[in-house]
Amino acid sequence: MAKNTLSSAFRKIDVDQYCEDNYKEDEVDQVGPQGPDENEVKILIQKGKLIDALKLVLVNAPLGTKNQQIKDNALNLTLKVLFSIKTSQIEEALSSLDSDLLDVLMKYVYKGFENPSEGSSGHLLVWHEKIYNVGGVGCIIRVLSDTRRV
Amino acid sequence: MSATLKPYLTAVRHTLTAAMCLDNFSSQVVERHNKPEVEVRSSKELLLTPVVISRNEKEKVLIETSVNSVRISISVKQADEIEKILCKKFMRFMMMRAENFIVLRRKPIEGYDISFLITNFHTEQMYKHKLVDFVIHFMEEIDKEISEMKLAVNARARIVAEEFLKRF
Repeated sequence: MAKNTLSSAFRKIDVDQYCEDNYKEDEVDQVGPQGPDENEVKILIQKGKLIDALKLVLVNAPLGTKNQQIKDNALNLTLKVLFSIKTSQIEEALSSLDSDLLDVLMKYVYKGFENPSEGSSGHLLVWHEKIYNVGGVGCIIRVLSDTRRV
Repeated sequence: MSATLKPYLTAVRHTLTAAMCLDNFSSQVVERHNKPEVEVRSSKELLLTPVVISRNEKEKVLIETSVNSVRISISVKQADEIEKILCKKFMRFMMMRAENFIVLRRKPIEGYDISFLITNFHTEQMYKHKLVDFVIHFMEEIDKEISEMKLAVNARARIVAEEFLKRF
């Protein structure tokens, strides 16, 4: 020991961060759809083709991108489509989706819960229940465990 | 019981059933330690996407999952001042006795009123569906309990005021 020190700051240094086996996130943006086309979706909503609009936003969901702006836009657009579909039409809409799209839809439903506004949660709860009836627990598990968030 | 309560509880039940897939997992940092990863947050790969289920602006549940533990935080409806006080006192009462509840956390997460922490040891010792039932039952009862207490407080206040004002 060369010299005694009163400083204990060295205890706070996180030496584990230099460990080479640490988990690293994928840095690069994954290629994939860069969000749905807003105009196209709006036209479909106006024409009353809500199920087509739903499919369009789910297929083009920007899952891989890190750009928050694109994700927010896609979320708002998807929620708009979800709210314009009436309760009685939900089952019909779900029957046309395959398992991958159901997972994406479930992600959007959970995301929609995070910012509740007047009456929105009630409608999303109906969506949640119906998706669960089709997709089962696996659908929720995949939302929880997938790192490609919406 | 209002129209949205049932689907709300169903959604929470399904999500909890899905989230409660816990496994024994030793700490990656310290040897021979075993910590709930949702609390220590030592590595991002062990944490799952946190999800929120809301009934309206005030009532919501946050479910955070990790490889060996799940944390459930509940925000209870508080319509006015008296409900706020009752809720605060009631939660405090329970959290002071947290070890008797086993899965209760001693402090709630910021922004929520009460939190539960369920680890893989709890799911090993207890039935998983009963644990889910417990949380759901708790959420059902807490609203009832608080509105009952509110009525009791108001009734008592009325009697006290009557007795007091008789003197004048």
